[in-house]
Amino acid sequence: MQLKRRKMSRGVAPALGLLTANLLLATAALADPLGPAAPPPVANANINDDTETDLGLTRVDSAVLFYHEANGRVQTTEPMISVAFNSEDGDVLSVKLTSDTLTGATPNGAAPWKQAQTFTTPAQAPGSTAVVTSASGGSSLVTLPGTGTVVRQYTTPAHQLPTDTGFRDQRYAVDAGYSMQWSPESRVSIGGSVSTERDYRSGSINAGYSRDLFEKNTTVSVGLNLEFDQSRPYFGTPTPLTVMSGDAKGGNKSKTVQNIVIGVTQVMNRIWLANLNYSAGQSDGYQTDPYRIISVVDPVTGGPTQYLYESRPSSRFRQSLYMGNKIALGPTFADVSVRAYHDSWGINSITAEINERIPLLSWIYLEPQARYYSQTAATFFHDYLVSGQPLPTYASSDSRLGKFSATTLGLKLGIKTGSTSEFYMLAENYKQSGKSTNPNAIGDLASENLFSGVNATSLVVGFTFAFR
Amino acid sequence: MRNTRIRGRVSGRTLTALALLLSTLTLPACGALGVKPWDHDLLAQRAMQLNTHPHITACHEHIYFSKEGSSGGRTFDGGGCGCN
Repeated sequence: MQLKRRKMSRGVAPALGLLTANLLLATAALADPLGPAAPPPVANANINDDTETDLGLTRVDSAVLFYHEANGRVQTTEPMISVAFNSEDGDVLSVKLTSDTLTGATPNGAAPWKQAQTFTTPAQAPGSTAVVTSASGGSSLVTLPGTGTVVRQYTTPAHQLPTDTGFRDQRYAVDAGYSMQWSPESRVSIGGSVSTERDYRSGSINAGYSRDLFEKNTTVSVGLNLEFDQSRPYFGTPTPLTVMSGDAKGGNKSKTVQNIVIGVTQVMNRIWLANLNYSAGQSDGYQTDPYRIISVVDPVTGGPTQYLYESRPSSRFRQSLYMGNKIALGPTFADVSVRAYHDSWGINSITAEINERIPLLSWIYLEPQARYYSQTAATFFHDYLVSGQPLPTYASSDSRLGKFSATTLGLKLGIKTGSTSEFYMLAENYKQSGKSTNPNAIGDLASENLFSGVNATSLVVGFTFAFR
Repeated sequence: MRNTRIRGRVSGRTLTALALLLSTLTLPACGALGVKPWDHDLLAQRAMQLNTHPHITACHEHIYFSKEGSSGGRTFDGGGCGCN
């Protein structure tokens, strides 16, 4: 109940407020969007012949994401709004604000077991004597005998996936960018972003260049991005592969990410537009999840003997090859894309996605969406470690680094409310599938569900409009 | 373990080689593709933009970044948040 009340006050209410404000703003702006001599905007509200551009217009786009994972896992409410000022010459200045409210339970990395498991975490920030959490979400505060140290404990029932129910965060992000026509054939862009949440800060800067070739049928582009992140765990950063405890941990950690994306966009023929991107990214610094642990189990029974904080490499090199296509098929428009991905942690993945926009009337369309994703496991992924065996340098039981596949099925609805305005809504289900039981697992772990994939439903509701 | 590492290395090289090969082969061929300006009627439709709904794309990127081991491709692969 407490979580729900928090969510309403911090998540849904501002989100609904944002949409209402945007609708009111739209009403005012569209009352006279193109000047007194302009025709009513609804006159061109035909989705089958919508070639309106935003040149000279200011575009406002707002949306809210409601994301819900089954079994009491993560829930998110994420309102966002962007404003883009478009000059008659094609220059664009854009600003985007995003807020993110997360609540719910997240897997702590331990393997399920046939008996209840109790986990102990710190309750005090490093160097502080003040307890900064309350006994909520199924956890309790305990004073360790003889030390006076207050710790937080929570218990997972037998055969259930261990999750930390105290998961809660609020994020705010600002993105800004400016792009301009550099010459009749080329554009340049610069941008940056900052985001802050209670235990993480991030900032990035980017620059891009694109050039049109062959009567503007081909566009080549290159983009660079530098990101600086700081991880500020609530109770400090634990030393990797040390035993989970309520003791205060170390200081903050940082990470840098450098990215390059090289792309070609090509008009293939009158109905087909293709986009090919190669991207590479290098991450250096702290990339371990400070809250996540991994079980060390008895080599015979499979029962947990201790819990260690996980450990990941400090360097990661990612590469991907992406191809997107837009194809006009009669009155419908298909969006077909594939991506091949590889990184130095050993993860290889394939992603395929198809969306088909189908007009129903001149002002409304439906767009069924489907996506398939499959990845291999990172080289240091383990469901658990075995007591008595040498500790590896890196180990994580994070299912996001394990082998799994995922499917997304969704349906988008778009309603043209004017020549430059649209109401849109997307509902979808995202489900991960993996090997739930492993007959080769040690002892009684063979009958436990070791896969902690998610099953999530989400809804995006948005409204966009432009005015002069 | 060794097999996985070898497989991973080959896959990474393959991806790089494929990207270089595609860019080398496709760019000169691009001149032979395309349409004349008066045939841009369908390409000029809003629905033909590569990203018709940036906020929906951003939601997807955020969800997949925080729930999967891969990211990027369409754009930069950084996340800007601590959810992964």
